Amino acid sequence: MPVLADVSFEVERNTSLTLVGPSGSGKSTLLRCLNRLEEPTQGSVRMDTRDIKELDPLQLRRRAALVLQTPVLFEGSVADNLQTQPASARVDLSQPRLARALTDVGLDPDFLDRDGTTLSGGEKQRVTIARALLGDPEALLLDEPTAALDPPNAALVVDTIAALRQSHGLTIVVVTHQPELIRRLGGCVLYLVGGRVQANECMDGIAHELTDRRVRAFLDGQRPRAAR
Amino acid sequence: MMASAGVIDLSLWQLGLAVLLVGVVIVISAREALGLERDLVVGAVRTIVQLYLVGFILASVFAAGRWYWVVLLLIAMTLVATQAAVARLKKPIPGGYEIAATAITVSTAITLAWVIGVVVRVRPWYEPQYAIPIAGMILGNAMTSAALAGDRLQSDLRARTDEVEALLALGFSGRDAVQPMVRSAVRAAMIPTVSGMMTVGLVQLPGMMTGQILAGASPLLAIEYQIVVVFMLAVATSLASLLFVRLAVGRYLTPAHQLRRYLL
Repeated sequence: MPVLADVSFEVERNTSLTLVGPSGSGKSTLLRCLNRLEEPTQGSVRMDTRDIKELDPLQLRRRAALVLQTPVLFEGSVADNLQTQPASARVDLSQPRLARALTDVGLDPDFLDRDGTTLSGGEKQRVTIARALLGDPEALLLDEPTAALDPPNAALVVDTIAALRQSHGLTIVVVTHQPELIRRLGGCVLYLVGGRVQANECMDGIAHELTDRRVRAFLDGQRPRAAR
Repeated sequence: MMASAGVIDLSLWQLGLAVLLVGVVIVISAREALGLERDLVVGAVRTIVQLYLVGFILASVFAAGRWYWVVLLLIAMTLVATQAAVARLKKPIPGGYEIAATAITVSTAITLAWVIGVVVRVRPWYEPQYAIPIAGMILGNAMTSAALAGDRLQSDLRARTDEVEALLALGFSGRDAVQPMVRSAVRAAMIPTVSGMMTVGLVQLPGMMTGQILAGASPLLAIEYQIVVVFMLAVATSLASLLFVRLAVGRYLTPAHQLRRYLL
């Protein structure tokens, strides 16, 4: 059984695309296909008209940086984690550059010396985003970046991502259930169910709301209930 | 039967008295409801049959004194060791049999050649009295360490999939991304050997040394051989585990630096 079928879409440079849909609908698989952590059995992914299979996978992954759902921090300090970059990438790992990467994700440069294990979930996630940013990617692929976080931390990560899109001119593809993140990012929304595209809708400007009934109903269902 | 120098010969009825010891174990198992009686009987019978079989084969190979019989026996032992190492893996690795065979054969061949040809200087090299027991010790340890390393590699890759994929996503090569798991698997396989070196002779006398002393060798000669054996097993286990892990880890990666998660 294929996970995805007949999925076709485009993302313009400097815009964002949000993948929504119930779990098991193939959102993460689709995201992983975009930087070739996963290999589609059929079809192709193109970047600037070139099939990504023709690109060096390691370079592709630095151009389209993927941030996983569960933040992975390696043993050591935040600085050690930010410096975990392939030698071949020749990433600038000077202190000012690391500090700037932290500021970009809304963390204080003092964090550089903190032990990775002492951070909160939201801080960890922002460090992994900063680590991805150090490679100067053109696109950021985010797999449910707020799923493992409590609402205040999730809100901070939403702020970070929305700010980055503006400041870094990034192309962002994100899997999320957060209506707030979708609203803040704008751009297009791809609604997947069972590996198929059910709706593909774009918002022009922040004020514009999504109109597709199914997408709205799905996102409404994701809002936290007031009474628990 | 003739007794060889300094060794008390065992008659069949003396062996029978040893079987009584298993009887004690069976009684314990029955009284404590351990449920091991059947396995104990099967195990005891297998011990007797398998060892007699090996004894007859060894006796005829020793008597023949031909290099090709020795080589044939070594090949058979290697096949059994390979099979056993593969069987110990919790999940099959594609091409696991070839990987285990390569790791065990190469590590054993190198170690055996050095010990027999350079250290002990057995002449002729295929003298079965030396070649077979030494090869047997090397094979047994190479097998165990290869299986241990393979098992650890699998469980580490499974438990640390996110870590591997985080590194891949940053643009690390597949080899670099799995390097921490390779290291910990080889370490895990070598630790028993290294910690064994710390206490060797203090807690219990190694089996081979015990055998030599029982066979009438002087304790000093026995420890000299044991020293050779300890170092020989250290190199055999490290080579076997390193080779196995290096070859096996490649099966979990694609040429496009992807982790084959379905194999874990």
